[in-house]
Amino acid sequence: MQSRVNRCLAICALAGMAMTRMEAAPASVESFLQKHCAECHDSETKKGGLNLDALAFNLPNPTNFDRWVSIHDRVSSGEMPPKKKARPEPVEVESFTRELSSRLTEVERARTEREGRATQRRLNRYEYENALRDLLHAPWLQVKDWLPEDGESHRFNKIGDALDVSHVQMARYLGAADYALRQVMAGSVERPATRITRYYARDQRSYTGPMKFTVFNTAPERATFPVLGYKGQPEVRAGNAPISAGKTNAALRELEGVGVVASAYEPIEPKFNQFRAPVAGRYKLRFNAYSVWVGPGQSNKWFIPNLDDVSRGHRDEPVVIYSETPPRLLRWLGKFDITPDPAVYQLDVSLLAGEIIRPDAGRLFRSRPGASRWQNPLAEHDGQPGVVFRWLEVEGPIYDEWPPAGHQSLFGNLPMVNRKETAAVARDAAGTNRFGDRKFTPPPDVEIVSKKPMNDAARLLTGFIQRAYRQPVVEKELKRFLPVIEQALRKGNGFGDAMLAAYTAVLCSPEFVCLEEKPGRLDDDALASRLSFFLWNSAPDEELRALARSGRLHSPDVLRAQTERLLSDSKSRRFVDAFLDYWIDLRRIDATAPDSDLYPDYYLDDLLSESAREETQLFFEELLRCDLPARNVVSSDFAMLNERLAAHYGLPRVNGVALRRVALPKDSPRGGLMTQASVLKVTANGTTTSPVLRGAWIMERILGQKPPPPPPSVPAVEPDIRGAVTIRQQLDKHRTLESCAVCHTKIDPAGFALENFDVMGGWRDRYRAMGDGIPEKGLAKSGQKFAFHLALPVDATGELPDGRRFTNIRELKQLLLADEKQLARNLARQLAVYATGAPVRFSDRAPIEQILERAGSSHYGVRSLVHELVQSELFLMK
Amino acid sequence: MKPLSAPFISTRPALSRRSFLRGAGVLLSLPLLDAMHPVFAGVPKNSASMTPGGKPRRVLAVCNNLGLLPDQFFPKQSGRNYALSPYLEHLREHRNDFTVFSGVSHPDVDGGHPADNCFLTAAPHPGSGGFRNTISLDQYIAERIGHLTRHQSLTLGVNVQQGLRSLSWTGSGVLIPCEEKAADVFRRLFLQGTRAETDAQMRKLELGQSILDAVAGQAKDLQGHVGARDRDRLDQYFTSVRDLEQRMQMSREWERKPKPRVTAPIPLDPASPKAYMDKVKLMYDMARLAFETDSTRLVTLLLDSVNSPAIEFGDVKTSDGYHNLSHHGKSAAKLAQLKTIDEWHMKLLAELFTGLKSIREGDDTLFDRTMILYGSNLGNANTHVTTNLPALFAGGGFKHGQHLAFDTEHNYPLPNLFVSMLQRMGLETDRFASATGTMRGLDLVS
Repeated sequence: MQSRVNRCLAICALAGMAMTRMEAAPASVESFLQKHCAECHDSETKKGGLNLDALAFNLPNPTNFDRWVSIHDRVSSGEMPPKKKARPEPVEVESFTRELSSRLTEVERARTEREGRATQRRLNRYEYENALRDLLHAPWLQVKDWLPEDGESHRFNKIGDALDVSHVQMARYLGAADYALRQVMAGSVERPATRITRYYARDQRSYTGPMKFTVFNTAPERATFPVLGYKGQPEVRAGNAPISAGKTNAALRELEGVGVVASAYEPIEPKFNQFRAPVAGRYKLRFNAYSVWVGPGQSNKWFIPNLDDVSRGHRDEPVVIYSETPPRLLRWLGKFDITPDPAVYQLDVSLLAGEIIRPDAGRLFRSRPGASRWQNPLAEHDGQPGVVFRWLEVEGPIYDEWPPAGHQSLFGNLPMVNRKETAAVARDAAGTNRFGDRKFTPPPDVEIVSKKPMNDAARLLTGFIQRAYRQPVVEKELKRFLPVIEQALRKGNGFGDAMLAAYTAVLCSPEFVCLEEKPGRLDDDALASRLSFFLWNSAPDEELRALARSGRLHSPDVLRAQTERLLSDSKSRRFVDAFLDYWIDLRRIDATAPDSDLYPDYYLDDLLSESAREETQLFFEELLRCDLPARNVVSSDFAMLNERLAAHYGLPRVNGVALRRVALPKDSPRGGLMTQASVLKVTANGTTTSPVLRGAWIMERILGQKPPPPPPSVPAVEPDIRGAVTIRQQLDKHRTLESCAVCHTKIDPAGFALENFDVMGGWRDRYRAMGDGIPEKGLAKSGQKFAFHLALPVDATGELPDGRRFTNIRELKQLLLADEKQLARNLARQLAVYATGAPVRFSDRAPIEQILERAGSSHYGVRSLVHELVQSELFLMK
Repeated sequence: MKPLSAPFISTRPALSRRSFLRGAGVLLSLPLLDAMHPVFAGVPKNSASMTPGGKPRRVLAVCNNLGLLPDQFFPKQSGRNYALSPYLEHLREHRNDFTVFSGVSHPDVDGGHPADNCFLTAAPHPGSGGFRNTISLDQYIAERIGHLTRHQSLTLGVNVQQGLRSLSWTGSGVLIPCEEKAADVFRRLFLQGTRAETDAQMRKLELGQSILDAVAGQAKDLQGHVGARDRDRLDQYFTSVRDLEQRMQMSREWERKPKPRVTAPIPLDPASPKAYMDKVKLMYDMARLAFETDSTRLVTLLLDSVNSPAIEFGDVKTSDGYHNLSHHGKSAAKLAQLKTIDEWHMKLLAELFTGLKSIREGDDTLFDRTMILYGSNLGNANTHVTTNLPALFAGGGFKHGQHLAFDTEHNYPLPNLFVSMLQRMGLETDRFASATGTMRGLDLVS
């Protein structure tokens, strides 16, 4: 024992020394450096800040390691020595990089063997939510927003080192778990009747209220109006006739509707708020609606609608349906086009208890005050478009079984009794919970009856732990959580509450919250988790677990079949969305809004930004589904479009609000990710674009090169929207300095090519500017006149660092396609970081190349890349 | 954006929590609890608000959602020697104890009326389709130091559209309803709850602690089997669980302790929303009493003027609903009435300041330890713009007596003030919502 301790101390001491001791570089490395590099990179010249005389060869030190990696990369890419200097012989380069590379790999491998590539991590909030949904059979659960935003490292929310836990996080877990568990419990002993109820628009105060003018609503455009068939009802609108025939004339009532010519305006949004989902669960929503045309006002005010003059609609109108938890906590439920002929539109949805339903005809006008009176941009001299809703019919809640599966997973088939009102535990006076953060959920409406509480508790808890934990459970865990129940019962809590306390503990415990992986090859349980959190963003299902238990999962064929199964399941959409949210920042699509002055045509256009997000998701899903080559990321001959997007991109008309695959014209600048509205939006700030920021973004996310960091002393270019100078001219001053040009020739090219795209991804030949100039003619979605003018033309030409020139985005794309392997390499690396929760380090390069090798026959198909990644040692080892 | 923690940062606490827990009583444990905090972001390390020698710091944030007439409110000159504007004349005796800002706003918080919900959250685009609010300043602080007082925070309101409006929002973007009745607030602060209420609360906390105990046990066990890097992660987990448990323990202590006694009588709430100003005054009184008894350190107050009828105060009866008046369209009659209303607001504020100054706490007055933010989500109610917000910031131990004038064309981010306030509370953070740093030009009294 004594000697073991001593040896251990000795090793520690050695390790400590290694951190400080200067080692000599291997002779072959040293001689190459002396011969080819020392002239500029010595202690006198220190070109680029590199002084080889003072650079230790101390690879266990991470900073030093990175330094040597960068030397390796500069030499191997041929960037160094610079073109002006004498070139080393290829064999020299080869032996230098081989030697250095093997030393680097060796050092890193040693660490990986000890600790693994990945650091142990907790689930991120996407994963936590999905894991609860799957565990509790409640796909409608919303708990992501209970948890603080996750730390990000290497651009993803999957890296252990950035996924911290704090007492705030713990408190949120407690609140979220308790909330989720109570949501899935049965609310009553009896199965709630599945009702079919019609909610007439005429009975909704939020529909009929705005028929009268109020302080929020002094304009006909904001008012609602009664419609019967294709006729207005002046007497109803004036308040001289009843608002509805009501039950006295049921047939007439079916035909009564309420119209709008405007889209959402918060203070007076019409919604079906007589309906409130009584419990969380599945519902069918059926809307009876149609589009109309509303006549013009008096001749000089033709653009103000005459709400009594209604006729058949001229076209279909897209409608988005949101659910809303007052106050205005919105969830997107679905969308459809409503036609001029009255029809019924059905959505199958999951609702949370208490939610109401709000339709929004997103194409319509969204009035906002401004310099002058607004004017509906869709108004024509003979009127303007509107939509009419007659009723919403709700069928639900719909249950496959009772009590629901989630409840059964918690309480088996133990009998329930309805809880008496008086037994309800009083809430604390504030109505808030000190440690969770929503209102403390009222206790469930049923009490669970157990004749042998501790027996039932042990049985139920065992089952729950087995399902919740992703590896075999040892007896110890039962012993750990059983006392929670015992104590709760002893203190006078009911059986149900006592069980929920233990379940909450399980859902807050590290075995559930953290992924357990041991250094070396993953065992089958860990592999099942890794695969499932990769492709479903959630815990493994029963099939995966069974394969893991029987020890078969790691066999390549089984693993491939399982990968295929997970990818083909609809849950793989979770992967697509979560991966894109981070890889290309799709989650930030609404972080900035188009400037109301410069981009009034996009401002308030929720339909456009929602479509843009979906476009990118469906696009990537298509690449994955059809195993399309990775080069499609840069250029594709198709796009996923709906009417709004096609119009935005200036493409031939597409009908309707649903997105679908559309072949692009040959000369289209669209196709690929870079020219999608979503990407162009997240890389701009709503007001201006910057070739530097966009260029760096493309370089890192799409091309897989690390942009050099901005120098600390140089301030960013201040955007100027006055129109006298373009961003390119502003940058040119900077780029002509040699010290700046070194980096900017690498960063800016893609950014320049994208200058033809504005902050929302619309095509532009000239910049927009405010200030002096004749404003463009046009009306904003807000009804205000355009105030911007067209200023200097866009110059989208540029030159890649290797000297190849392009004049526009189409040419740039062609140049980038020349190296489709690099595009695939980047995608493989991004996937590897996401899937394994660890950055792609120097020693990971070889396995990445193997992945590419094996996916080469499909031209690096995206699905093939996923398969080969899963089969690679990166994925199979911690 | 700041890169998040690098792989080699140790998150090991400085002290062994276990050995410490055995020895110290709960109240004593506070400063040490603090010293034991791991080094991750957003958690107080050298928190003045937590150290016994340090001073308790407080926040009162008030938003009047119809704002103030800008030309009457904003001073014409900037700096320390500015001349008081007509409105600020009413605060003359406190001239050196507040800072007035101009040219400030919340970046990207537009949408007119709904922006009041973002006054303390600064969440962008409240009017947009997919909007979701984020945590408010008071709740962010409450999550970190709320356990130090009986009540984590108070969310108050006058004439609030219930369920739709509030200044306080949880971390999950959920509205915390405003308390409208001063009498209810008073009861919560000073009258003992029923036995059943206390017991229920105690039971909840005990349950919570027993849950955390089990979780902590597992975290500890797992640490045995893993490498150094992973052990650090699990250690952080364990530490977090224990931190939370400590806080629950504190809360249980509060449940056992009798509430403070005050000599003030239970307030009588006016029945009519027309008595808006009386209600404002009562809420200011409640905030002062809450701070004086250290019942909480965080109070928000939403004055929902938009939802208020034609109001009456003193000898004044206004002719139109408050919201209607605010769309004055430059009508002289309406402007005159708005001015009278606004001036009354200033007088009440002056009284509040005087009241807080009259109470001593240690070597300071309550005012010195209370940051008071008074402002609005609208820069000019007539046009409903959400830029150039009126904002006045008093007390709390800052160097006041100045007009910090920023660019009225390109506004300075008001969330930077929130960062300054967080730091004054002793929380080590350099960001909140869209803040870019601390408030330029606003310094602490050394």
